[in-house]
Amino acid sequence: MDQYLPIFLLLVLGGLFAGLSFVGSSLLAPRRKPTGPKVAPYECGIIPDKEPPQRFPVRFYLVAMIFIIFDIEVIFLYPWAVVFRQLRVFGIVEVLVFAAVVFVAFLYLVSNGALQWGPGRRLQPGVSARTSESTVSRITAEPPAPDQAA
Amino acid sequence: MTGTLLALTTHGDPLYAHGVGWFVWVVVLIKVLVAFAVLLVSVMLMIWFERKVISDMQSRIGPNRAGPWGLLQTLADGTKLFFKEDLLPERSDRFVFKLAPYLSLVPALLIFTVVPVGGIVTIAGHPFELQVADPPIGILVVLAMSAVAVYGVMLAGWSSGSKYPLLGSVRASAQMISYEAALGIVVVTVVLVTGSLSTRAMVESQSAAFWDWNVIRLGIVPFLLFLTAITAELTRPPFDLTEAESELVGGFHTEYSSIRFALFFLAEFMNVITMSAVVVTLFFGGPDGPVPHLPTFDVWFPTVWFLGKVLVFLFIYVWFRAALPRLRYDQLMTLGWKYLIPFSLVWLLGVAGFLVDGWWGLGVIVVGAACAGLLVRAFAIGRGRADQHGSMTALGARLSRPTLVTGSPLAPPIPPAPPSPPARPVTTRPVSGTEGEG
Repeated sequence: MDQYLPIFLLLVLGGLFAGLSFVGSSLLAPRRKPTGPKVAPYECGIIPDKEPPQRFPVRFYLVAMIFIIFDIEVIFLYPWAVVFRQLRVFGIVEVLVFAAVVFVAFLYLVSNGALQWGPGRRLQPGVSARTSESTVSRITAEPPAPDQAA
Repeated sequence: MTGTLLALTTHGDPLYAHGVGWFVWVVVLIKVLVAFAVLLVSVMLMIWFERKVISDMQSRIGPNRAGPWGLLQTLADGTKLFFKEDLLPERSDRFVFKLAPYLSLVPALLIFTVVPVGGIVTIAGHPFELQVADPPIGILVVLAMSAVAVYGVMLAGWSSGSKYPLLGSVRASAQMISYEAALGIVVVTVVLVTGSLSTRAMVESQSAAFWDWNVIRLGIVPFLLFLTAITAELTRPPFDLTEAESELVGGFHTEYSSIRFALFFLAEFMNVITMSAVVVTLFFGGPDGPVPHLPTFDVWFPTVWFLGKVLVFLFIYVWFRAALPRLRYDQLMTLGWKYLIPFSLVWLLGVAGFLVDGWWGLGVIVVGAACAGLLVRAFAIGRGRADQHGSMTALGARLSRPTLVTGSPLAPPIPPAPPSPPARPVTTRPVSGTEGEG
C-alpha cells in the first residue's frame, strides 16, 4: 500500500485547498444578506413559476442502463488483457464468445431503436399542401364544424 | 500465472523498497507539493494560453493588461472571485450544493498522480521515479477518478434546484458515461500490448524507439478514438453540450458563484491538462525521446520531452474549440454509441488476434466486418421503427405519447375563439383547481 501514499496525501491536500478557499472567500466576500431575486433560480431574468422538472425522457435512464452492460464488459476485459500473453488461443476464443454475447444484446437494443435520439417522428415536408389559397381562404371562410376541428 | 503476478509486483516506485522512513516521507511530501503547485500554475497558464490562442485565431488581441502579455489575467480573475458574494440558491440542497465542487476538484487532482513525467532520479543513494505515485493499477486510477468526476457534475446540477443546471447536468452525465465505455475499451487495447496496468510499464514498453509508440504500434485508429472519447469526456468543444451557452445558460454551474465557481473552472482545466498527459502516456511514449547526453541535463530531458508533447495536445484542444461547431445532442449520442463503441471493440479484438497469430487476426477482422454489416442493418431497422412508432417500441415505451406531427401535413384548422367571458378580477389561484367556480 506504500505506493498509494502520495495519492492519499494529495487527496487530503486537495480537500484542504478547497476548504481553505471557502474560508478565504467567506472572509473576503461581502457579508450583506442577499436579496430575494439573487437567491432565486437564474432563468435569464424570467421569474420562475414552475418547479424544475422531476421527470426526464426515459432515454436518459435507458442510456444509463445500456452503459452498465458495456461498463461491465470493459471491467471484465481488464484482467483478461493483463494475462492475455499467457492465455493466447484460449484467451482469444473466450473473449470472442464473450464479445458475441454482448454484441447480440447490442444488436437487439439498436434494432429496437433504443439509441435513436432524433424526434419521435420526423416532420413530413408538407409545405406544398399549404398554398396561399388554402391559408387565406381559411381565415376569411366560415369557421368549420366543431367535429371537423378535432 | 506467476509471471503475471511477478510483472505486477516488480513495478512500482523503488522509493518504498526499504520501508517508509523519514526520507521517504520528505520525498513524498515534496512530490505532492510540487505536483500540486505545478498543476495550479499550469491551469493558470492554460487558461491564458487558451484565451490568447483563440483570440489570435479570431483576429483579436485577447487579454493584455494584467502582467506581461496578459499572463497574470487568470490570477486577477481568480482573486476577484474571492471577493464575490457566495450565494446559496434558496431552492438548493445545501449540503450537496457545497459538496459538489470538492467532488469535481479532488478527482481532477488525483488523476495526475499516476502520470510518469520523467525517468528515475537518485538523491543521496535513494532512487525514485519522477512520478507522484506508481501504483500497480495505475490506469484504473485514471478511469475511477474520471468516473467520480461525473458525480461532481451531476450533483452540482441536481442540487441547484433550477432548470438549466439540471438539464445541463443530466446531459453531461449521459454524455460522460456514453463515452466512458469507448474510452475504457481503447485503454484495454493499450493494456493488451503492455501486459500491465501500471502507467510506468506502459511507458517502458514504448521506450525502445519511436515506432514502438502505441500510436504507431496499434495502428493510428485507437489513438483517434481515444482523443475523440476524451474530448467528449472532458466536455470540451465540439462536445460541450453540457454548457451550451446558447441553449442552457451556463450548464451545471449556472447557480454557482464566487470561489465555488472558480473551483469548477479549475477542475475543468486541470482535467484538460491531465488528460493530455494521459494521452501522451498511453500513445506517445510519455517522457520517452532522444537524450542528447549533456552532463547534469540528462535526467531532465525526458521531462522536457513530456512537457513538449503535452503542449501539442493542449494546443489541439484549443484548436478544436476555435475550429469546430458544436454537435447536436442526437449526433453526439450516435457518434458515441453507434460508431466509437463498436469500432473500438472490433479493433481491440483484432489487436488481440494479431498478438496470437496472423491468421487469428485476419479471422477476427473478417468476422468483425460481417458483424459491422449486421450492425448497419440493425441501425436501419431501429431507425425505421423509431420513425414509425416513436423511440423504443419494444422497450416499454408503447404507452401512447404525444408525437410531434399528426398524420396530416396540414395543421388542423383553428377552432373559432369562444365568446370571451366577461372580465373577472384576476386571482392568483393555482390553475390545477378546476372545480366549479360558480
